[in-house]
Amino acid sequence: MKTIACILLSLFLFGCGTYITKEEFAPNMYKDHPLTIVVLPPMNKSTSAEAKEYYSTTIAEPLTQSGYYVYPLEIVNDILKQEGLYDTETMLAVPPQKFREFFGADAVLYLTILEWNTSYMITSGSVTVKVAYELKSTHTGDIIWFYDDAVSINTSGDSGNMGGWAGLLAKVITTAIKTAATDYVPIARQANEKILLAIPFGKYHKQYNTDMKVRVEKKKALQPVEGKSQKGPS
Amino acid sequence: MNKTLLILSIAFLGFIGCQPPSTLFYWGGYSSTLYNYKMNPSDTTLSVHKTTLLDIMKKAPVKKMLVPPGVYAEYGYILLKEGNEAEGMEYLVKEEQAFPESVVFIQRIKDEYSRGKK
Repeated sequence: MKTIACILLSLFLFGCGTYITKEEFAPNMYKDHPLTIVVLPPMNKSTSAEAKEYYSTTIAEPLTQSGYYVYPLEIVNDILKQEGLYDTETMLAVPPQKFREFFGADAVLYLTILEWNTSYMITSGSVTVKVAYELKSTHTGDIIWFYDDAVSINTSGDSGNMGGWAGLLAKVITTAIKTAATDYVPIARQANEKILLAIPFGKYHKQYNTDMKVRVEKKKALQPVEGKSQKGPS
Repeated sequence: MNKTLLILSIAFLGFIGCQPPSTLFYWGGYSSTLYNYKMNPSDTTLSVHKTTLLDIMKKAPVKKMLVPPGVYAEYGYILLKEGNEAEGMEYLVKEEQAFPESVVFIQRIKDEYSRGKK
């Protein structure tokens, strides 16, 4: 039954976008076999100043569940400072190979927060988080995987069964409270989990090296993937 | 109309059925206590985060899950920063034993620590 449901699901998904296998999408992941990943502080292209701090605390957990060794955030930050790397822009100029020297990392994960928005329109509200990932090998310097996705949560109030003006007023109030109180952390976590469904699993995952045929939605790279090694994202 | 609904429900069931639960590593309340510490760095928020790290090490085996990468290292690192060298080093060794791929990283922490002492 489960198999049939899964087949039906994939047929259903086929209708929505272009789907290719993980191996077709990220062939170098299966050649490079990265195990240890250093996650750099995210680049923030959203309008929220706090997005960076919020976001970086949510990444280690889902990335390790996908089977990778991830270095703890606080120690990484300290080591980067010891290397004179304080801001993300400076780090982008560093060749990926350097991070193997600093940490022993096989790959570097570059994150870009594209959207971090609360939209609030009296009786309806929503919180949107959109993130792009780019993984580079510290052996070749090449991009070996990338993905992006967005998660939106509706924070509209529920007025229960009250009708008329009283109902509308209740709805306005609950929407305001819910939108303000909605914590970004669980939403960021959902975005991570959604994106990481598309990463080839790492050594600690049960499906390591057996997930090549799993289909993922084909994404466009933020920059050409076929490029030669030394190019950093601009 | 009914057909669309049927396809959607099947897809939903499929979605639930296809996703294995992530039960590899036990993380407890890690991201929220780390987040609180980063937003309001203080002795209190740090000690709450330390409690989380200890809690992970204690509960992971009970839940038949593994202690995640970096947890021993992070705890040991905090102890070193607090001047508790002996215990701090023990946890760094634990990280290396659990995850041999962390050897370069752990050596780096040890080197920085002894450089800082001079």
